Amino acid sequence: MKALTANRLADGEVVFWRAGAWVERFADAELFDADEAAETAHARSQSQITLLVDPYLIDVTLADGGPAPLSYRERLRALGPTNKLDHGKQAAGGGDIEHLAHARGAARSTGRVALIKRK
Amino acid sequence: MYLYDDIDQAMLDDRTAEFRAQCARRLAGEINEDQFKPVRLMNGLYLQLHAYMLRIAIPYGTLDSAKLRKLAHVARTYDRGYGHFTTRTNLQLHWIKLRDAPDILDELATVGLHAIQTSGNCIRNLTADPHAGATADEADDPRIWAEAIRQWSTFHPEFSFLPRKFKIAVTGAPVDRAAIRIYDIGLRLSRDATGALAFEVRVGGGLGRTPYLGPVIRQGLPARHLLSYLQAILRVYNRHGRRDNLWKARIKVLVASLGAEEFARQVEEEWDRTDKASVDLPDTELARIRGLFRPRGFETLPARSAAFEAARASDAAFARFARRNVLSHKVSGYALVNISLKAPGETPGDASSEQMDVVADLAERYSLDEVRVTYEQNLLLPHVKLDDVPAVWAELARVGLATANTGLVSDIIACPGLDYCALANARAIPIAQAIARRFAEPETAERVGELKIKISGCINACGHHHVGHIGILGVDKKGEEFYQLSLGGSGEDDASLGQILGPALPAERVAPAVDQMVEVYLAQRREGERFIDTFRRTGVEPFKEAVYAEAD
Repeated sequence: MKALTANRLADGEVVFWRAGAWVERFADAELFDADEAAETAHARSQSQITLLVDPYLIDVTLADGGPAPLSYRERLRALGPTNKLDHGKQAAGGGDIEHLAHARGAARSTGRVALIKRK
Repeated sequence: MYLYDDIDQAMLDDRTAEFRAQCARRLAGEINEDQFKPVRLMNGLYLQLHAYMLRIAIPYGTLDSAKLRKLAHVARTYDRGYGHFTTRTNLQLHWIKLRDAPDILDELATVGLHAIQTSGNCIRNLTADPHAGATADEADDPRIWAEAIRQWSTFHPEFSFLPRKFKIAVTGAPVDRAAIRIYDIGLRLSRDATGALAFEVRVGGGLGRTPYLGPVIRQGLPARHLLSYLQAILRVYNRHGRRDNLWKARIKVLVASLGAEEFARQVEEEWDRTDKASVDLPDTELARIRGLFRPRGFETLPARSAAFEAARASDAAFARFARRNVLSHKVSGYALVNISLKAPGETPGDASSEQMDVVADLAERYSLDEVRVTYEQNLLLPHVKLDDVPAVWAELARVGLATANTGLVSDIIACPGLDYCALANARAIPIAQAIARRFAEPETAERVGELKIKISGCINACGHHHVGHIGILGVDKKGEEFYQLSLGGSGEDDASLGQILGPALPAERVAPAVDQMVEVYLAQRREGERFIDTFRRTGVEPFKEAVYAEAD
């Protein structure tokens, strides 16, 4: 399962794709079962250059009883820094934030791998 | 301290106006990210995990109260009320919006601050001994020379597209407080037998994936020829430095592959055919810069301060602060006061806007309007009367800045790590916090003595882990945070690269492992030995045994 993420151009905020629009909470992100649908969304997002920087697909797991990014880096992007829990998306609180904070999936972030390759 | 003249100011104003237009074009979609990214990076604006990060240059780590107040104001107005001082003595703001960036740079320019030379493959913002101008052991104020290099290197057309970034550190003292051995160029000033100023030049130090300590390629370089000699070094690098492989592009790789001797020969050859007079700074300009760094306002005072001694005798907490954070000054009756940004449990190097404002006020009132940033991620008031130290301490304590731990186990260097950085493998901050909490009791930390712990969240080594007495490197093991420990590194006069302890540990095992190693040290140390001295005598085995015993 995948989700599509990027940073918003104007303010750098982490955003997620939802049916052609962009939302700030991972819990509101569209989840793709099929790789093909994910790739189609990704291709569309790449033309939205006045909105976004670097859209990429991330792996999502349901292993912990709900959707969460598989990689720790992507969960951290969906939450905020762990040294300041009142900063970032986590400050809003809620069940979805709690879930992400306790999810335990582990995998390399595809986003980071791509970033390093591009360098 | 140095003041920007009309030329400097016009350059800054032009630069911010240009960047404003470039941001507008990007936001309007007239240029894409690939076209815009090099431009924003050259203005210090990086895209990190949660937002943009602005890296603001603090040339040779020197600030006055107006500049520090402006940093506090920008952090409060455009960020979340705090900033992070780095090992390169810059300030990073983590929550910047692209649409605000031109306004921020405009605000900074009003006090001569900017983000020039904080990114890109150019000569970066310089660092210098934070005790410059205040320490009795220096031959000359290194900032005079650092400022000369700044003026020469800013927007230097020949050196704006080097194979890779290029960092220079300068000290004027025999004791190294600027980590000059881990720099692309490390400069040390001294006086020769005739009393003339001369540089010892090291080239090719650096950390990252392939760490090296920079070898000396030139002794006794007449100081007036500094710029022409730097030009010769950079020309050899520009000519032969690798551009085909990012990981081999730094000058350290060139120096290591040619050998220091051959590299030096090529530099001398290049320098011999240089028209030195066309590059070296005229004496009049050097004198002008020197004049701006001349400290003003020192009073004639006795070496002993009754107020200082009385406070020390009556207050154990102040006595500890005086012992750890107050250092001797070249002028009788004055002291340097180190301001720790390492209160146990806090983020190393972070300061809130309120704290920055308090330090700015203290600098203005008690330190001839000067503040320094140290590469160990602390601040420093360089010119405080001993009589005033108790008042400075009380005010620092009021805002949580009086931690008396300079050089101790809780005075930890840590990069922002995966909490903020797009390149990181693992978090660095929580590891630092966990270790510092274990040694939060001041008595315990003092009993352990000097112990420098340095933590990086990836191999790029912004946290200097290779040269930590205990170095900690975050690695990614199939998506999980692990930490590789090394021992025996030092970035100072006894410089050495650390030796890996053993297999990487999971996050929760790191602070206990540090504890275990400290126990080994306390059990084995001999009179007068620091942690690193004991390690150098015993070797890695007893430490390794303590950390990995229970795993077997």
